[in-house]
Amino acid sequence: MSVKVRFFARFRELLGTDLITEYRQGTVLLALVHDIAGKNPDGYNAMFDEKGNFRDFVIVMQNGRRIDTMNAGNIAISDGDEIAVFPPVAGG
Amino acid sequence: MVTKLRSSPRWREDNIGVSMIRIQKEDVDVAMLVSGAKQRGSGAVVVFDGIVRDDGIEEMELEAYEEVALPELEKIAKAATEQHHLLHVDIVHRVGRLSVGDNILLIVVSAGHREEAYAGSRYIIEEIKKGVPIWKKELTRDGGRWVPGEHPHGSGP
Repeated sequence: MSVKVRFFARFRELLGTDLITEYRQGTVLLALVHDIAGKNPDGYNAMFDEKGNFRDFVIVMQNGRRIDTMNAGNIAISDGDEIAVFPPVAGG
Repeated sequence: MVTKLRSSPRWREDNIGVSMIRIQKEDVDVAMLVSGAKQRGSGAVVVFDGIVRDDGIEEMELEAYEEVALPELEKIAKAATEQHHLLHVDIVHRVGRLSVGDNILLIVVSAGHREEAYAGSRYIIEEIKKGVPIWKKELTRDGGRWVPGEHPHGSGP
């Protein structure tokens, strides 16, 4: 089973993007992003606090819909999901 | 006998209700958008043109999560049309590398009266700033920095 993880802006520079990742059944969204971000300490620290939670400004989407990052430890992922993680937007 | 000549209308009969909502690298012809925004019943067209400001930068790099950003822009255009009785809305947001003075964002709206046109245009830009996944990086001689976005807990890093 695999999902696509997309990082944008500063997170993309630190971690890359469009990462197709295999995961084990039962993996929750928080753990999945932990594993990927853990490969780069700067990337990890940019999006997670010292307790391992998403920093409060981080925005996470699952299949284009924003999720509550406080609840990311309880959110299940499904085969083929697209997870996007990004800093506050600055368009316009 | 005097034949009265009637000049042809300045609104376009062929594109009523058709809007251009796009995220693209290319620049856009503003005059063409203004012309296309004039509908039967239009009394005002308001153009918002966001441009790359000379803040001592060399260039600006823009990035979008297009699969989400485009439907968001469409949703904003629809809400603005309903709330402010707009007759036409165009939103063109550019991505890629831009230079000082280049257009970043064009919002062209038309309405029966100026109050609605101004309010609709203002609504659209504020909604874009709030939630559409697009980011800007200012490129300077020393490297670059991401423009901090707004969020409820203060600016991001």
